Amino acid sequence: MMPRLHARHPLVVALAAMVIAALVGFALAAAAGAGPADVIDALIEGTLGSPFAIGTSLNNAALLMLVAAGFTIAYRAGLVNVGGEGQLCLGGIAATAVGVSMPDGVPMPIGVLTTLTAAALAGAGWAAIAAWLRVKRGTSEIITTLLLNFVGLALVVLMVQEPSLLRQPVTSSETLPQSEPLATSAHLPLLGLAKNPATIAIVLAVILVAAVGIMLRHSAAGLRLSAVGLSGGAAARLGVQVDRTAFLGLTTAGAFSGLAGGCLVTTAPFILADGFSSGFGFAGLVVGLLARGSMTAVAAVSLLFGFLVSGGINLQLAAGVPSSTITVVQSVLIILIAGAAWWTTSAAPSAQKVSV
Amino acid sequence: MTITAPEHTALLAMTGVGKSFGTVRALDGVTLNVKPRSVHCILGENGAGKSTLCNSIFGTVSPDTGSMTLGGNEYRPQSPADALQAGVAMVHQHFSLIPTMTVADNLLLGRDGFRPPRGQLATDLDRIADSYGLSVDPKATVSTLTVGARQRVEIVKALLRDPQLILLDEPTAVLDVHEIDALIATCAALTDDGKSVVLITHKLGEVARAADEATVLRGGTVVGGGRISEMGMSTLLELMLGDTEPLDRAVAPRHRGTGEPGTVLQISGLRLTRSDGSTALDDVDLTVGRGEIVGIAGVEGNGQSELTSVLSGAIAPDTGTVRVDGADLTATTPAQRTAAGLAVIPEDRHAEAMIGALSIAENIAMPRLSQYRRWGLLDRKRMRADAAAAITEFSIRAPGPDAPIGSLSGGNQQKVVLARELSTAGLKVVVAAQPTRGLDAGAVAFVLDRLRAAADDGAAVLVTSSEIDELIAVCDRIVVAYRGRLLGSVSTRSDTAANDIGTLMTGVGA
Repeated sequence: MMPRLHARHPLVVALAAMVIAALVGFALAAAAGAGPADVIDALIEGTLGSPFAIGTSLNNAALLMLVAAGFTIAYRAGLVNVGGEGQLCLGGIAATAVGVSMPDGVPMPIGVLTTLTAAALAGAGWAAIAAWLRVKRGTSEIITTLLLNFVGLALVVLMVQEPSLLRQPVTSSETLPQSEPLATSAHLPLLGLAKNPATIAIVLAVILVAAVGIMLRHSAAGLRLSAVGLSGGAAARLGVQVDRTAFLGLTTAGAFSGLAGGCLVTTAPFILADGFSSGFGFAGLVVGLLARGSMTAVAAVSLLFGFLVSGGINLQLAAGVPSSTITVVQSVLIILIAGAAWWTTSAAPSAQKVSV
Repeated sequence: MTITAPEHTALLAMTGVGKSFGTVRALDGVTLNVKPRSVHCILGENGAGKSTLCNSIFGTVSPDTGSMTLGGNEYRPQSPADALQAGVAMVHQHFSLIPTMTVADNLLLGRDGFRPPRGQLATDLDRIADSYGLSVDPKATVSTLTVGARQRVEIVKALLRDPQLILLDEPTAVLDVHEIDALIATCAALTDDGKSVVLITHKLGEVARAADEATVLRGGTVVGGGRISEMGMSTLLELMLGDTEPLDRAVAPRHRGTGEPGTVLQISGLRLTRSDGSTALDDVDLTVGRGEIVGIAGVEGNGQSELTSVLSGAIAPDTGTVRVDGADLTATTPAQRTAAGLAVIPEDRHAEAMIGALSIAENIAMPRLSQYRRWGLLDRKRMRADAAAAITEFSIRAPGPDAPIGSLSGGNQQKVVLARELSTAGLKVVVAAQPTRGLDAGAVAFVLDRLRAAADDGAAVLVTSSEIDELIAVCDRIVVAYRGRLLGSVSTRSDTAANDIGTLMTGVGA
């Protein structure tokens, strides 16, 4: 059955929000002295202008898809995972630890698989702290996951500053505080397009997004997640293990963010450094909020944001518009989405009553 | 504010007061007089309109029709502030005290002015303690007080306004026996001081001791009333319970199997204390045999809800056991109970029995999703087919199995819940809490028929209801919940069943 898109479908809402945000972006660019045509030129140049730009954008989009897919799983169970950034950091740390210590001669598939598995487990473990507190103590996961972000970010700094941990051997005063490069067998393979840095991360992400979509819609686990999110009391009465389901929902979200962190360090330049996460965990959260539960929207919005990020850098280089304009546009999007959520709940036509 | 009224006229007079909520007529043509210096009791079962009446006097509800006078002057409060200004105060059933603050701070809340008048408060508290014997410790933190002490604080809070008329809404629901005695003494002290008290309750035993006059409400209308000394308890009881002509006993007499039924559900020694310290279940023992239908009657709040929650696995009892066919289920999960053949129709349909946003098919399949697995995914086609069959069998009015259950009417939602629970594999016990609440007559008959059919098929059925006539129609025997205990065991074949139950319910026999 093909669902017809109506006015309040998440995809329609997201598109409308984007059009408005784009107009705000154009206005800001105009204030900086660049006309809409210049802006579009610079954006296209930065996103689609070269194979390199396209590849980078796809790699960005893959990370966003992973974080947003995880966010959506937890959100189904009524949990808001604000901790994508911290979970991504832990994933990056674990992947680096495995990747730099990998012996030579490990076949690439095994190397990549081990590295990414370590990343996912680390992300899940980080989220498990918040999930455990939520289930056992009733602590709001919004608060705990948010605060764990800062711990995760600080852990990355600790790891790359401390020679006994992951810092590369210090040979001179100019040795940067970053990890050694990961072993070649842990590098994510490229898609193999000419002059294009796109890795198999985008393929992995698309497959996982599709799998999550199917899981949420067509599996018993998906239905149980929905039941817990919609009514914990009724779900418990109907035999759903509410605490377990919520715990697994949030840790799975962590695994997805951790996986994103793993993909980040197994992509060129293959190192862990302070700031390696570039805020992808937070951007992924925005994508998740924007998509409002629809996995189609997760994929679409991730692609758009992935391209926007690379476009923003070129915006500054080519058109002289501050690249922070893109951040403003993203923020406007968040506000609009919050408004849309209010609009859909308050203005939705009341469900038809069927009388006896 | 002082209201002067001659002794022979009413302090508060209501004439033809009516109020509708949507299509429900909550109050209809209510006329009553509260005399000065008297305790006037408003009696009635749940849903009789007592609360609406009380809220009309206190200004939270404005009546559609009729008029009120207070001390001879027209009285038409638009808000509780108006009522307080006019000299009417109310003590609500649910306390509005802030537990983390002291008694004094709670009493000073809502006072005008920048500096709280603490000195004035101390004087007032002394005066109230002297006049009415109501002493409270202003320095105590509310959370450390017993329920009875908290209620004293609420009454003191009302008295600080120096009202002429005090409304007490179900004041005895949470009190123990000694606290009730103290409350009755307080009522007497208040009338001695020239004030009047309106006491809203459904417990006849207390009325006899506390009230001078009573008015009985049923279905939003006054069905009788007068001086307690002239009326007698039995008259009041008859008025309250109304015409308890059995529903349809002639139509469907229960055919019991021959021989002694084996015990299926065995509840022994259940005790449970609520979070506020009051006793919810007090050593509850009950057995239900194969094919037997046992009813639990009683005014709400006497532990029935907690008993259902313990049986469904939502809360664990402090002590005691629940056994089904000898197997101890006390510490099991809801899923394990379902597997043991225990079906539960919860009291709060929206919070516990269904998930409104999910479809009928999903709601029916939820407890047995593992049966619908195909290649790791859900076999939606079979879920839909099974739901469609249930829709036909239980004549559920719904657009189809994919319709969200929340879009159905209450009666049809209940039928979906019933369809799911009664199709529990290996059904042995059915626990139904207020299964007919809010349903129209057709749906009520349907639900009762189904419960009866389940018993005929050999299930042990336990029904909780506040509708005595329904229980009498459907059950084999009835016990009465009173203050956390189960009293009596009234056979529904007895002609005096309704009266016996009513007497137990009102606490007269306890």
